[in-house]
Amino acid sequence: MMSLRWGMPLLIVAVLASCLAIIYSTHSARAYYADLQRIEGTHWYLQEDYSRLMLERSTLASPHRIAKMARDELVMGTPDLAAYRTIVERVY
Amino acid sequence: MARNGLVPAPGMPWRLVTVVGLLLILAACVVGRLVLIQVVDQERGAAFLREQGAMRAVRSAEIPAYRGMMTDRRGEPLAISTPVITLWADPHKLGDSNRLGVLADALGQSETDLKQRLDLYSGKRFMYLARHQTPEFARRVLGLKIAGVGGKREYRRFYPAGEVASQIIGLTNVDGEGIAGLEKAYENVLHGRVGQKRYIKDLHGDAIRDVGVVRDARPGQAVALAIDLRLQYLQHRELQRAIVETGAEAGAAVTVDAWTGEILAMTNHPVFNPNSRAAFDYAATRNRVVTDAFEPGSTIKPLTLVAALETGAFTLDSIIDTSPGRIRVGRKVLPDPSNYGAITVSRVIEKSSQVGVTKMAQAMGHEPILSVYRRFGLGEPSSIGFPGERSGSLPNRDRWSEIEKVTLAFGYGLTATPLQLAQAYAIFANQGRRVPLTLLKREAGEYVPGEPVIAPEIASQVLTVLHRVTGSEGTARKARVPGFSVGGKTGTVHKVGPSGYLPDQYLALFVGVAPMDNPRYVTAVVIDRPLGDSYGGGAAAAPVYARITDGVLRLRNQRPDIDTEVPAQLASSGAGQ
Repeated sequence: MMSLRWGMPLLIVAVLASCLAIIYSTHSARAYYADLQRIEGTHWYLQEDYSRLMLERSTLASPHRIAKMARDELVMGTPDLAAYRTIVERVY
Repeated sequence: MARNGLVPAPGMPWRLVTVVGLLLILAACVVGRLVLIQVVDQERGAAFLREQGAMRAVRSAEIPAYRGMMTDRRGEPLAISTPVITLWADPHKLGDSNRLGVLADALGQSETDLKQRLDLYSGKRFMYLARHQTPEFARRVLGLKIAGVGGKREYRRFYPAGEVASQIIGLTNVDGEGIAGLEKAYENVLHGRVGQKRYIKDLHGDAIRDVGVVRDARPGQAVALAIDLRLQYLQHRELQRAIVETGAEAGAAVTVDAWTGEILAMTNHPVFNPNSRAAFDYAATRNRVVTDAFEPGSTIKPLTLVAALETGAFTLDSIIDTSPGRIRVGRKVLPDPSNYGAITVSRVIEKSSQVGVTKMAQAMGHEPILSVYRRFGLGEPSSIGFPGERSGSLPNRDRWSEIEKVTLAFGYGLTATPLQLAQAYAIFANQGRRVPLTLLKREAGEYVPGEPVIAPEIASQVLTVLHRVTGSEGTARKARVPGFSVGGKTGTVHKVGPSGYLPDQYLALFVGVAPMDNPRYVTAVVIDRPLGDSYGGGAAAAPVYARITDGVLRLRNQRPDIDTEVPAQLASSGAGQ
């Protein structure tokens, strides 16, 4: 008889608890999804910056530009053979 | 007065009973229908209605996937995707907007043009305004908040190296799929997985909120190439310079690290600018190093030398009489530039004597030569997997005429690509082992399996001869690099036209190995149709090889042959003098 007396209230409590759990999980899913969207937005902006900076760097560091600057501004040239020095690392 | 509809009149209960009964039946109908729809599964039931609802409100959209970056061996970007925004319009809504002028101004288009295009698309709900705009620009336009104008996130591919590496890297189309070069070859790796999300729209078609990700976007992987951008640039510069100096039509060059099989640089002329599709020439996208097979001519003679040495009938010092400077084979007469007299086998290759090679070929027959060609990878595709790669061809005949046997020995009647020539010479630099070539960077210390195809002693003998070719008696004195000893072989080949060989059109070839004391770097140069008197391999292609190799050896930290060694300590204290 125990089951009949306590069964009903227990069932009601369980149903209520699961209702609340559903509300909670739906809410947190929404919150997480909002977070995800925000993070994706940030990711997008960061990627924009990253690619732009990469492109900028490779433009500034292009061998063509470096060669031109070295030649024209810094008056550099390829050393002739007499100026070659080979540095050898020796293990003592 | 006492009677009204609510109180049953005695003797007339049937009216009430009828009304209540009807109402109950109606209620039962409604409940029954609800049960039918919600509980009982039927054709136009709950699932159907839910679907219909979703059809009207839920839309799905693509989440663009980031395409993997391509870098050179040192991490310099060669192809990189950047986020862009594509501006679109809903002509239905924008058509009668009173802010068209403002929009046209912001887009930098004329208002009449915009109106015309809108009229053209008047029945539609979608029209591109401007594709692939920079985010700053697009945000300025979107910031105007004109109804019916929207932005869509996309990626656009940029090629920082521009024309310098254009043929290797290739291209993507406007939808971001690789259509040429390595972009196409590694499409599966580079291309990420496009994701999908669902959102709810309102009556006007504007997104209200996202409801969830159906499939997340997965970014593509980066690909690190074996190319060294510095060498690539250097090779490109020298090739362009040679094209200008010789007045040639086209050219190609490739540099290979023989030990690892890595392709360090690979350039072509003509070039195209992969960042601009305005003036786009499809012919210029051809990577001639792998797609153009031609008769290799004299550059193949070192392979013939291998065959001769392998038979054991010849050594480098065997004497061959080449007088009187010409030889008759069948109905043809093959001449040398002059009468070299009795010379050694080594000198035959140095001088590139047709008579000498012909005599060697006649003595051993064509079978040993074909065997060497096959072992050196001629007639089969290399392992790099480049789209459109040609494998060249080796002759396959039942009956060989005398002249066919002989021409095979000096590089006619078969075809090879510049890459195959480089691969063949790499075997000499690799003590007779054939290492598969690759365009991808190998990990430091990665074990590279090499298949021994000729004896190391023979490889080293051939290297000795290749070195002598650049000596005072050889045909390639212009291939010399100051401070280093190099080796190689020239080739001058008649171009083939629709009806046989063209009398005054040549390919100038040079394939070389450096440095000789520790051979490692192989470079092949092809100059297509140089004009003027300097059309030969020794005059047109060898100087290009020398300038490229000079840079390769310097950038790869090779030590010059001349004695310039200083201890590290001394160097750090007074190296500037």
